[in-house]
Amino acid sequence: MKYSELTRRYFESATRAGTLPDAFRGAAGQREQGTWVQFDVQINAAAIADARFLAFGCPHTLAVAAWLAETSVGTPLRRDMAESAAALRERFAVPVEKLGRLLIVEDAWRAALSAAIDSAAPDPMSGEGRVKDA
Amino acid sequence: MKPPVYLDHAATTPVDARVAARMTEVLTDPRWFGNSASDSHDYGEAAATLIEQARVQVANAVQADPREVVWTSGATESNNLAIWGVAQYYRDRGRHIITARTEHKAVLDPCRELERRGWSVTYLAPDRGGRLDPAQIKAALRADSVLVSVMHVNNEIGVIQDIAAIAAICTQHGAWLHVDAAQSVGKCALDFAACGADLMSLSAHKVYGPKGVGALLVSRSRAPTIQLAPLQSGGGQEGGMRAGTLATHQVVGMGAAFELAAVSWRADAERIAQLQQRLWRGLSAIGGVLRNGDPLHTVPHLLNVSFEGVEGESLLAAVRSEIAVSTGSACTSATAEPSYVLRALGRDERLSESSLRFGLGRTSCEADIDAAISVLEREVRRLRRIAGT
Repeated sequence: MKYSELTRRYFESATRAGTLPDAFRGAAGQREQGTWVQFDVQINAAAIADARFLAFGCPHTLAVAAWLAETSVGTPLRRDMAESAAALRERFAVPVEKLGRLLIVEDAWRAALSAAIDSAAPDPMSGEGRVKDA
Repeated sequence: MKPPVYLDHAATTPVDARVAARMTEVLTDPRWFGNSASDSHDYGEAAATLIEQARVQVANAVQADPREVVWTSGATESNNLAIWGVAQYYRDRGRHIITARTEHKAVLDPCRELERRGWSVTYLAPDRGGRLDPAQIKAALRADSVLVSVMHVNNEIGVIQDIAAIAAICTQHGAWLHVDAAQSVGKCALDFAACGADLMSLSAHKVYGPKGVGALLVSRSRAPTIQLAPLQSGGGQEGGMRAGTLATHQVVGMGAAFELAAVSWRADAERIAQLQQRLWRGLSAIGGVLRNGDPLHTVPHLLNVSFEGVEGESLLAAVRSEIAVSTGSACTSATAEPSYVLRALGRDERLSESSLRFGLGRTSCEADIDAAISVLEREVRRLRRIAGT
């Protein structure tokens, strides 16, 4: 399979692969089913201070998860991804039959951000979904 | 940029320089452009002489009678000619075929099509090592069984089947035996006369010959001799079994390649077996690496392994700029489906998907093997770290 330059770059670098201590965590998918994604996000006031990901899946899945973790830092807290799965599919030239994998990335992202946002009201640093010792 | 190390010789091999030189000679020498079927002049006769010389070379390499060699465009056509040819010719005698789940698509797809047209096909399951027990064939044979099709060397896992034992059962029962031996020539001993098969598919490009040419061996040793309904008509060439003007340079290339293989296969196999052991030692040291196929009954040229904790497509993408290998057979690697051969061996979907097939060949060397081990060690660890496994 051919991959876009953007996909290759993020798949090969995957610079934000890993976990974070004291972070909010969300995951979706199953390794046994071929795709699993997890995000850890640290927040600072109402913004994302840092983000990391783990992913088991195809190069598109890894690349999109890596891109999300990288580009989200410094952005305001919101449950949705900055771009929809459909828009990310176009950005990374992901084959349409793989859209389901991007929806798993989206679910993992929403789970992590929801944990952060739900915990942020009223005390953003003490909610459920927070990783105490990652 | 350094080209990737080529470890996909089971998909195809580079044309041997001596074969290419011989083919070029045939293509460019004005004596040899004639149509081998034109026996009314010297040009045709000269081409026919080359064709017959190549027929002898191929026959000698596999212990066959030259009259048993039917030229085709490759093993896929040979498999189709064998299966369709027997099914159609003997349709009034019986419409039951036996094959294995681990056969090449060029056998399975014609069988599926015959099923759609009213034939009955039994797909035997091999053991976890990929081997069939000849007793399975015996148990599956029915009064209306006309054909058994079993490959000699599996194209994904390299496992060798006991063709002689299967042939004995088929002969006793009166069913014809077709053997896909596309992966056998130049890799292991192959004796058409002794193994007892009635039909055998051969390919040139797996043996350092050109693509686009192959052969079907049609035995003349059983009485009555096997008959085939042709796939194509229009000239009556190849004893009426395969019409069409022969490509002299291709056929000559196959003859030359088989002659070279007959001379060098033992030395090649011994050297490549050392490389295969080196590769397996290096890969197994990574940890979480499983070998697919019974290692006691495998050709040295193939090594198929599954990597725990990594996703197959990502693994292939991660290594493809440095090593050329395949997942499953090249004919199915355009699809994202896990290898049906490994699934038939009982591997789960994830391990079937995370498998790589290493095809070692004449050009492979220790440096290639070490490079492959190094790349895989690095990328498997990286992907496992990213996957948290």
